[in-house]
Amino acid sequence: MSTGKSTSAWRYIGQRVVQTIIIWFIIITLNFIIFRVMPGDPRQALIGEGLSPELRISVIERFGLDKPMIEQYWLYLVNLFRGDLGYSFSHFGEPVIETIFAFRFMNTFVLMGAALVLSIIIGMAVGVFAAAKRDTIVDTGSTVTFLIAYALPVFWIGILILYYMGFLWDLLPIAGTITRGYNHVNIIDYIFDYTHHMIGPLIVLTLSFIGGFYLIMRDTVLDVFTQDYILAARAKGLKERTILYGHAMRNAMLPMVSVIAVNMPYLISGAMMTEYVFSWSGLGLLTYNAVLSVDYPVLQGVFLFLATIAVLSNFAADILYLYLDPRIRY
Amino acid sequence: MATHDPVLQVEDLATYYYLGDRELKAVDGVSFSIDAKRTLGLAGESGCGKTTTAYSLMRILAENGKITRGSINLGGIELTTLSEEEMRKLRWKKASIVFQYAMNAFNPVLRIGRQIVEVIREKGDYSKEEAVNIVSELFDEVGLKPERQTDYPHEFSGGMLQRAIIAQALACDPQLIIADEPVTALDVIVQNKILDLLRKLQEKYNLAVLFITHDLSVVAENCHDVGIMYAGNLVEVGNVEAVFKRSLHPYSYKLIGAFPSVVGPKKRLEFIPGTPPNLMNLPKGCRFHPRCPFATAKCATDVPEFREIHDGHFAKCHYAGELDLGGGA
Ligand SMILES: Nc1ncnc2c1ncn2[C@@H]1O[C@H](COP(=O)(O)OP(=O)(O)OP(=O)(O)O)[C@@H](O)[C@H]1O
Ligand code: SF4
Ligand SMILES: [Mg+2]
Repeated sequence: MSTGKSTSAWRYIGQRVVQTIIIWFIIITLNFIIFRVMPGDPRQALIGEGLSPELRISVIERFGLDKPMIEQYWLYLVNLFRGDLGYSFSHFGEPVIETIFAFRFMNTFVLMGAALVLSIIIGMAVGVFAAAKRDTIVDTGSTVTFLIAYALPVFWIGILILYYMGFLWDLLPIAGTITRGYNHVNIIDYIFDYTHHMIGPLIVLTLSFIGGFYLIMRDTVLDVFTQDYILAARAKGLKERTILYGHAMRNAMLPMVSVIAVNMPYLISGAMMTEYVFSWSGLGLLTYNAVLSVDYPVLQGVFLFLATIAVLSNFAADILYLYLDPRIRY
Repeated sequence: MATHDPVLQVEDLATYYYLGDRELKAVDGVSFSIDAKRTLGLAGESGCGKTTTAYSLMRILAENGKITRGSINLGGIELTTLSEEEMRKLRWKKASIVFQYAMNAFNPVLRIGRQIVEVIREKGDYSKEEAVNIVSELFDEVGLKPERQTDYPHEFSGGMLQRAIIAQALACDPQLIIADEPVTALDVIVQNKILDLLRKLQEKYNLAVLFITHDLSVVAENCHDVGIMYAGNLVEVGNVEAVFKRSLHPYSYKLIGAFPSVVGPKKRLEFIPGTPPNLMNLPKGCRFHPRCPFATAKCATDVPEFREIHDGHFAKCHYAGELDLGGGA
């Protein structure tokens, strides 16, 4: 029985891998098309710079923008698999792959990762607790608090934190990921400085994420509470804590996982404003600047990257479901 | 019913639900007792308060439900005055409950064995291995292969789940098992197997069983005593033979008549006109009087007392024992 189960699980995973690859292909193709049919010829962006006609033609040739569409598409695919996303129009013609991955990806990854982990843990724990204490001051209090945090504009909280904690009270650095021009003594010193810089954006991001996770968790747990197996757990005289965190939370994780997976790209792009306010040099700030300077190769690279994250996180959610929900049908 | 101390003794139990400022008297003045190795069947129409009675005993009522009166003595301990934490510690150790829908009584995302191990370790000082061994023995006892304890609930059939639920109910050596319609969701053949199993285990472990059902033929075959409920009242209690053959209360008489299979060759098929009352707006006097063919003016004003008419045979009717219900004679 168990061997049969695990082969069918593997078959399911195999199917999902194939699906994921197909979807990813469709997305990278769309990504190619969108950037070609968008209003405003990408070449236009280069002309404005007052280049001489000869230089312009050579630039256009260098970027392959004179070739027929189908050939451009083929080149796009070939280059993509070589890890070549073209060259940034700004950033001194640097390869896009470097623009994205050299350090910006890491910066965003660390900030986003920390904010997600913090907000998911706090949101879930408080959500479960509030559901257990439904309609008490604890419940209403946390709901109101998180809703307000959720509704406040990121820009505004960011500025407030910068003004008070950064400028007035001098608790936090004003901008960047590390102190400029300071030579770090060792790696510990570096990490400390980096973390110190991250506190501001981390607070802002966590505050903006937490409300959603909290509300979903609270609602799902309230729903789980009406199930017979929770009554059975109570009848068994289990501890309140065991019922909450061993039974109810485990079941409520299921919807959480899909919500997180589906929203991953939005969360990442939502970080843009935060990165901008704190001059945190990550993908959000990069996107913001790329839009301003019409840096198509960079935008295309960033979108490709987000799409990949979206596809991958959905795949990860499906696999996690296999583990969390034994009832899943293959 | 017996001279020695019963396992469970319920005295004048009342449990109300509160909906806004309105009071729903789901259980009102219920008294009965169950000895070790005895089964009391609790029967009555839907909504008469059977489940509420069961949940009151375990004190697992919905948030808006409250025991407002009476006493519940289980193995010498008064449950109604215990703190929530004291009560939590007693649950499953002194009394366990088998729910109607076994499929929903196990958490779908956790392995069945783990859910039983969990309660064994919560209630007693056992290592994980010891608890797993206890589950294996229990599975063996209820006719399940011990290796199936690593399965998830959805991998079990309905009958297997009900066996697993019974194994779980036995896990901490309770004195009382409450079975709330334990076989209603199963087909007849499986039903009989489960009922046989319950009987066998009751004998072996000296269990007192409160058996809730709306099927009187199941009561006739599986219970020693029977209690009939109507609109939150227990209207008649006695041993099965006495209640079925010599009913004292007009409602029980009619209800039993509605199940020709229990009465045998006579095949009287009764129909009770009217519907049970609204529990938020109960009739004065005897709650059955609007539907009772024997009702008098007194019935509409005075609440009848729950009295012992014959030895161990109680009824809540002004004229119990005086009416000619056509039974017995
Ligand atoms: N949480 C609750 N709030 C309000 N009323 C309730 C609640 N639970 C049950 N009731 C009401 O209490 C009465 C008794 O319900 P109970 O579940 O005890 O009946 P029952 O005899 O078990 O019925 P069934 O045979 O349908 O299971 C019903 O009228 C029901 O509507
Ligand atoms: S008390 Fe009166 S109304 Fe009630 S059952 Fe007896 S005879 Fe009928
Ligand atoms: Mg019921």
